[in-house]
Amino acid sequence: MKRYLGVLLGVLTAIGGFVDIGDLVTDAQVGARFGWSMTWVVLLGVGGICVFAEMAGRIAAVSHRATFDLVRERLGPRVGMLNLVGSILVTLLTFIAEIGGVALALQLVSSVNHVLVVPFVAAAVWIVLWRAKFSSIENVLGLLGLSLIGFAVALWQLGPDWNDVLHQLAPTSNPGGESWTTYAYFAVALFGAAMTPYEVFFFSSGGVEERWTRKDIGVMRANVFIGFPLGGILALAIAGCAAEVFLPHGISVETLGQVGLPVALALGKIGLAVVVLGFFAATFGAACETGLSVGYSLAQYFGFQWGKYVRPRDAAGFHVIILLATALGAGVLLTGVDPIMVTEMSVVFSAIALPLTYLPILVVANDPDYLGEHRNGRLANVLGVFYLGIVLVVSLAAIPLMIVTSMGQH
Amino acid sequence: MTARDRYDVSLHLLDRQIVGAADRLVAKVDDVELTRLSDGRLVPTALLVGLPALLPRLSGLLARMHRLTRAAAADRDLPLVADLGLVDEVGSDVRLNVAHARLPRMERARAEDPHRLRVGDVLGIPVRCAELPRRSKVLDLCVVGVPGHAGRDDPHEVVALIVGPGRPGALLGYDRRSEPGPAVVAGIVRWLHRHARVVDLGPGVVLDVDAGEVRIERGTSLLPLRG
Repeated sequence: MKRYLGVLLGVLTAIGGFVDIGDLVTDAQVGARFGWSMTWVVLLGVGGICVFAEMAGRIAAVSHRATFDLVRERLGPRVGMLNLVGSILVTLLTFIAEIGGVALALQLVSSVNHVLVVPFVAAAVWIVLWRAKFSSIENVLGLLGLSLIGFAVALWQLGPDWNDVLHQLAPTSNPGGESWTTYAYFAVALFGAAMTPYEVFFFSSGGVEERWTRKDIGVMRANVFIGFPLGGILALAIAGCAAEVFLPHGISVETLGQVGLPVALALGKIGLAVVVLGFFAATFGAACETGLSVGYSLAQYFGFQWGKYVRPRDAAGFHVIILLATALGAGVLLTGVDPIMVTEMSVVFSAIALPLTYLPILVVANDPDYLGEHRNGRLANVLGVFYLGIVLVVSLAAIPLMIVTSMGQH
Repeated sequence: MTARDRYDVSLHLLDRQIVGAADRLVAKVDDVELTRLSDGRLVPTALLVGLPALLPRLSGLLARMHRLTRAAAADRDLPLVADLGLVDEVGSDVRLNVAHARLPRMERARAEDPHRLRVGDVLGIPVRCAELPRRSKVLDLCVVGVPGHAGRDDPHEVVALIVGPGRPGALLGYDRRSEPGPAVVAGIVRWLHRHARVVDLGPGVVLDVDAGEVRIERGTSLLPLRG
């Protein structure tokens, strides 16, 4: 019974923790501008993160090695350093966006300008990362993140014409009449948001933190193959709500408040309050994950002690890095930079960093030294190579598309 | 780790996580010290740890900058040393039987010993051989010995070099053993390194670290990599 409860808790927190500020903003923007025509990108991205998270989780369970360990071991110190610099920049950018997202969620509730809230949010994130248990962070914020189910309920209440939705599912429908380069840019951003590298850094490091063993592979797979796709459905619901409310009027999504507006229309104040709680939990949870991921990446590259499974004094360098990253994030946001713009940049740069993260995972997942009998089977390899090809194309296309479309403006 | 009596230094030892007593993470294997014995054999003798070992592998400029910033504490430009005898086990990590605090810093006399060199100094140096492409370099060093058992039985010994175009580490482990890998990735890596060869250290092969090159005489046996 305890085991089943553990699986259920893991799945629920995987659903609640799946969506972050990048998904919230990008899904709503895409829904408002492209309707349901990018559903295939969400499904593709969810499939990709499932494939690689499962491999990274399996490696963590069997060999107790997290993803950045593998990056340096297989790519060497030079290319590993290149990846480290790129990944840290992307993860820091995402961390900044998440802290900004928490501040924006609190602004929705309090009407206090988000810049004034940022120092308190940053302090709260750091205290939680310093003092709270790893499992408490994951479980409490993951369960609160389930409040975003409000979007699925709102979509049902908005009563979309499902025949029309079915027509829009075709990638060629492009109901907003946007140019195809803009379409491609947002497809790359959406894919980057779904497969952002910090997710595997955090997932695999979390496996080491929680002392996964071979016995936990089943539970890990349940989290990935049930929790992530259900989280993906939440992402689709967010896009769907925006498609129903904004697309017919040609309104684009520029603020977090607009992301929640369809829920307010469908479910009233109570519904809005529930999803704003979801915004807070999802962004605060992701802020914790990205903050930890900055520390994980650096510590795993250089090999010094990391993790919340040891006392802070035993992983002092790791905690100092998190403190500095939090201070830097708060400092950037205090300049008045728009967190939504930071989010848009972070998901595109995520797309660029993907291959250097996922190639070592795929290679090591085939290495009997690490995985023995648990190494990749044929299906995992076919899917891994398929997705590796896609992330390569996406990463090469990201910067040209960003320049050509002026970050999706035209 | 699967049992083997032969391993490749770059693939199986360099950059692996070192774990000390009580499962504490210590550092990465930032470099490996080699010693040339009086009979000419080259044997790995220690794992080197810390920025003074890592930075030269990243770039000579970074290493020089590091030495300048450490000028006030001259001994700090030397790495920490874990003699191979301290290694309990080599698998997906390297297990030591001591905690981090016990690792000594390398003595200056040892650093200046002309018989000692680092794997990082050997990897990537040019290979002069009429039968290999001009841009060939040392990609890895093959060692005889069971990882984690150095000093207990016969000492480990560098017996061969993997040479060819490309850069150290780019073989990704597809060259030496039977990892099936995704066939596509393995095929691409093997095709990229189709000119790579294994050459046994011995007559006809001169590893001249001072000159920064390996010279291989015409007619020396060059074995293809195993798939």
